[in-house]
Amino acid sequence: MSKYASPEEYGLADLLCCAASREVQDNEIVFAGTGLPMVAIMLAQKTHAPNLKLIFEAGTLDGRPPELPTSVGDARCETGASRSSGLYDAFSIAQRGYVDLGYLGGAEIDQYGNVNTTCIGNYLEPELRLTGSGGNPDINSFARRTVFIMVHEKRRFVEHVSYITSPGWRVKKWPGGEWVHRRELYGAAFRGGPSAVISTAGVFRFDENDGHMYLDTCHPGKTPAEIKELCQFDLDVSRVKGETAPPTTDELHFIHDVLDPSQIFIPKVKKA
Amino acid sequence: MSTNKRITLQQAAEIVKNGSSLTFSGFTIWRRPFAVVYELIRQKRRGLHLIEVNGGPQTEFLVGAGCVDIWESCWVGHELYGKYGANLSRKVGKKEILVEDYSHAEMMFRFAAAAQGAPYAVTQTSLGTDIHNPEYDVLGRAGRRDGKRIAKQKYIFTEDPFFGAGPQVLVPAVKIDVAILCVQQVGEEGTVRVAGQLYSDPEAARAADITIAMAEEIVPEEYLRRDADHNTIPSFEVDYILECPFGGHPTGMFGCYDVDGAFLKDFYAGTRTQEGFNAFAEEWIYGLDHMGYLEKLGWPRMLNLRANTALNYRPRN
Repeated sequence: MSKYASPEEYGLADLLCCAASREVQDNEIVFAGTGLPMVAIMLAQKTHAPNLKLIFEAGTLDGRPPELPTSVGDARCETGASRSSGLYDAFSIAQRGYVDLGYLGGAEIDQYGNVNTTCIGNYLEPELRLTGSGGNPDINSFARRTVFIMVHEKRRFVEHVSYITSPGWRVKKWPGGEWVHRRELYGAAFRGGPSAVISTAGVFRFDENDGHMYLDTCHPGKTPAEIKELCQFDLDVSRVKGETAPPTTDELHFIHDVLDPSQIFIPKVKKA
Repeated sequence: MSTNKRITLQQAAEIVKNGSSLTFSGFTIWRRPFAVVYELIRQKRRGLHLIEVNGGPQTEFLVGAGCVDIWESCWVGHELYGKYGANLSRKVGKKEILVEDYSHAEMMFRFAAAAQGAPYAVTQTSLGTDIHNPEYDVLGRAGRRDGKRIAKQKYIFTEDPFFGAGPQVLVPAVKIDVAILCVQQVGEEGTVRVAGQLYSDPEAARAADITIAMAEEIVPEEYLRRDADHNTIPSFEVDYILECPFGGHPTGMFGCYDVDGAFLKDFYAGTRTQEGFNAFAEEWIYGLDHMGYLEKLGWPRMLNLRANTALNYRPRN
């Protein structure tokens, strides 16, 4: 492992990307969405997890794109793939249980890891209609672990999300809508759930028994008290391990010189 | 063999009637049949029921132009060129459109069920989410569940009766009147060869009552039949064909041309309001035909999108 970069050498996007990348273990099968997750996963492929298998929702299986795709439907996704197929295969593979890890995002998250990407306000008369679910709930239902990458604002870390697009550790059992543990609802299909939230403030994990989010590490310069203040729910800060590890110089090299030199997703920090 | 499957762009759009249920090839900002979408807007088609595995710019254009009454899908946006569907969002706010949300895998499995002639699919996805909230059955609330095109119920919650695997969800097959595909090659008899990711094209073609394949080029059928294992959709699933170079612009096509990101950014930035949409449509759709549109784009712009034929995309450097 190369040395850690000094604070003036990296930006917040670099820190998030590297923290996300470190969630992957070698040989895992990973579902990555568009944007920063794609850079994170390709970074892992270049560093500690050279044998990870990358699945893009639009249908390429075990791809090795040499140039960063701008979306999962991009022609670049297919380069070096074991198989090019379609969504039916990608989702069947996921439901069958092949996927270890998925990277996702969201507009709002609650203390159980329920995520909203559908609307702000009452669903039937929304203040703002967003993109909708996409594959967020599917990957989150099928994968063993999911990692959410989010902008940390108090209005986004809420007691209850406007709409549960993607299932966390405690969810609603329909048609009645009672809150139950995810294990109870998914039956034989239960494999896990959200394992980490990487926000612009820190890294959060979940107590899988009671389903609550807790603060794991603070990003450099942030305190647990500040981060607790950035959540509308009562964040557990009793288990904090310390600071999020900064990017290494090697990781920064791969992000900016190899993976995203055109700064499509990760801006470069301007050197003073 | 006969070439009587050939039609024009105008005819392709005329096959889609007011009130038809409609779907497309492609994925978000890739391989969407834009030339036909523009023609539907010129012909002022109304009351469409769009059923899409996922939406994209084509959704936004049709919705902005007032062609769509119901949108059933899971996602709309322009990827990194526009983060959400501003036209859909505006019309939802004004209650000018009905939106029925399913998850992405649910939409895909609904198409797969339709493609295999099954009335429904079974899945374990999205349990516990508000996608399954009975209060949010928008088409039910609107009294549109006729049991014909629109299923009597949005979901049925059940338990695995065979192996005791626990909770399952049944989702209804989609009912598609017309599927319009945008592909690289089609033969004179309708055989389709898709290059690159297939997205949900094979299921869409098989599920629809009428399938139209708009191709970058029509090629001799025997050329495709020399390597049948490379083909994607069999001839008899395709009812009509047409050739339309750059017909997917501003979306991209593997091996042919990349996404015109600048065009999508302009569209996203300029069409937050209805006035903005109308002005954009006036400039780029009304009063133009496909050749006029390409002429307006101009050769330099299109050459800048053209894919390298070895790489299948246009390299950045």
